[in-house]
Amino acid sequence: MDTISRIVDQVAACDIKLVASLPDDWVAPLISAIDGDKRFTHVPVNREESAIGLCSGAFFSGTGALALMGASGLMTCIYAITKINYSYEVPLLLFTTLRGAIGDPRHHHISNGLYLLPIMDAISLPYAIVDSSDKAPLIAKAYEHTLTMNRPVVVAFSRAVLKGEA
Amino acid sequence: MKLRDCLAYASGMRTDELVITSAGTMSAMWWDLTGDSEGTFYLEASMSLVSMFGAGIAMGLPQRDVWAFNGDGAFCMNPGCLMVERQMSLPNLSHFLISNRCYGATHAAALPNASHNDYVTVARGFGIEHVFCFESLADLESGLRDAVAVRAPKLIVLEVEPPEAQLAVTPLEGPEIKYRFGRHIERSNGIRIFQHGV
Repeated sequence: MDTISRIVDQVAACDIKLVASLPDDWVAPLISAIDGDKRFTHVPVNREESAIGLCSGAFFSGTGALALMGASGLMTCIYAITKINYSYEVPLLLFTTLRGAIGDPRHHHISNGLYLLPIMDAISLPYAIVDSSDKAPLIAKAYEHTLTMNRPVVVAFSRAVLKGEA
Repeated sequence: MKLRDCLAYASGMRTDELVITSAGTMSAMWWDLTGDSEGTFYLEASMSLVSMFGAGIAMGLPQRDVWAFNGDGAFCMNPGCLMVERQMSLPNLSHFLISNRCYGATHAAALPNASHNDYVTVARGFGIEHVFCFESLADLESGLRDAVAVRAPKLIVLEVEPPEAQLAVTPLEGPEIKYRFGRHIERSNGIRIFQHGV
């Protein structure tokens, strides 16, 4: 089984039905796989904060939800996450990318490499790093953790995983 | 048209609709009028995401109508939400836009380009076919029931006067709102929301 399929199956096994996404080029293949999978309702959104709002509302319908975005998108969501999910203690599973990490050739993602993890630490936002396909089971653990802790949890993927190289 | 009169009318015709209110004046006034602590989620700790939050609920509870009350200050931060709403095409979501042409929650501070902002045209530009604009209480009383009954994406613009005074904030904290609202849905819809360690 390829890495993307393995990730998608992990998401489905969590009984997640709604996936709200906005792409960067690393997660585009994952988004495409989810979009074509009848186990999910996939909602492309206009900006990443809308995914936070949509998935947080879905929680109150008993619907499992995933907000899927790149690192730059997550950086724009600090307000929404800390306001909605922290103030009201609403669980939320987020997927993001480790853009700007060693091996990313794009200059304009340097800021993500420098600041994404420190910012998540600064707001006490728990995260799990999936940098090899055998760590895919962390997705289910992260989802269980968000429901238990009533706080958002992030799963951050390396380029190699999302490109099927690790 | 005064916001209080609009909300008094809307709350009077409300049956079991779930209500999401935005930061500031809207939440404070809805609480002042209704005292509802179960069927209303006071999303005060947020700007611009009321309708997305409501869409998430409406999608998962198709048998339940959801009213999401946005302010125009918040709406202008995220008008693209209408793209998502049009795409989701939820029959049971009513997106209300309280247009007071100012930032009502912050002492009626100026909203950019206030007098020129045409929310009806914005909505139609995103493909929302059912757009209603009420500028008088008489119009609202004759048209609101039909507006919320439309089973398609819709925006309901309420042109109201700027707030005259700041109201006291809703005396409910986030987790209390979460559990009151969620338990209400659990009871009334026969579903489980809180399943982990509660």
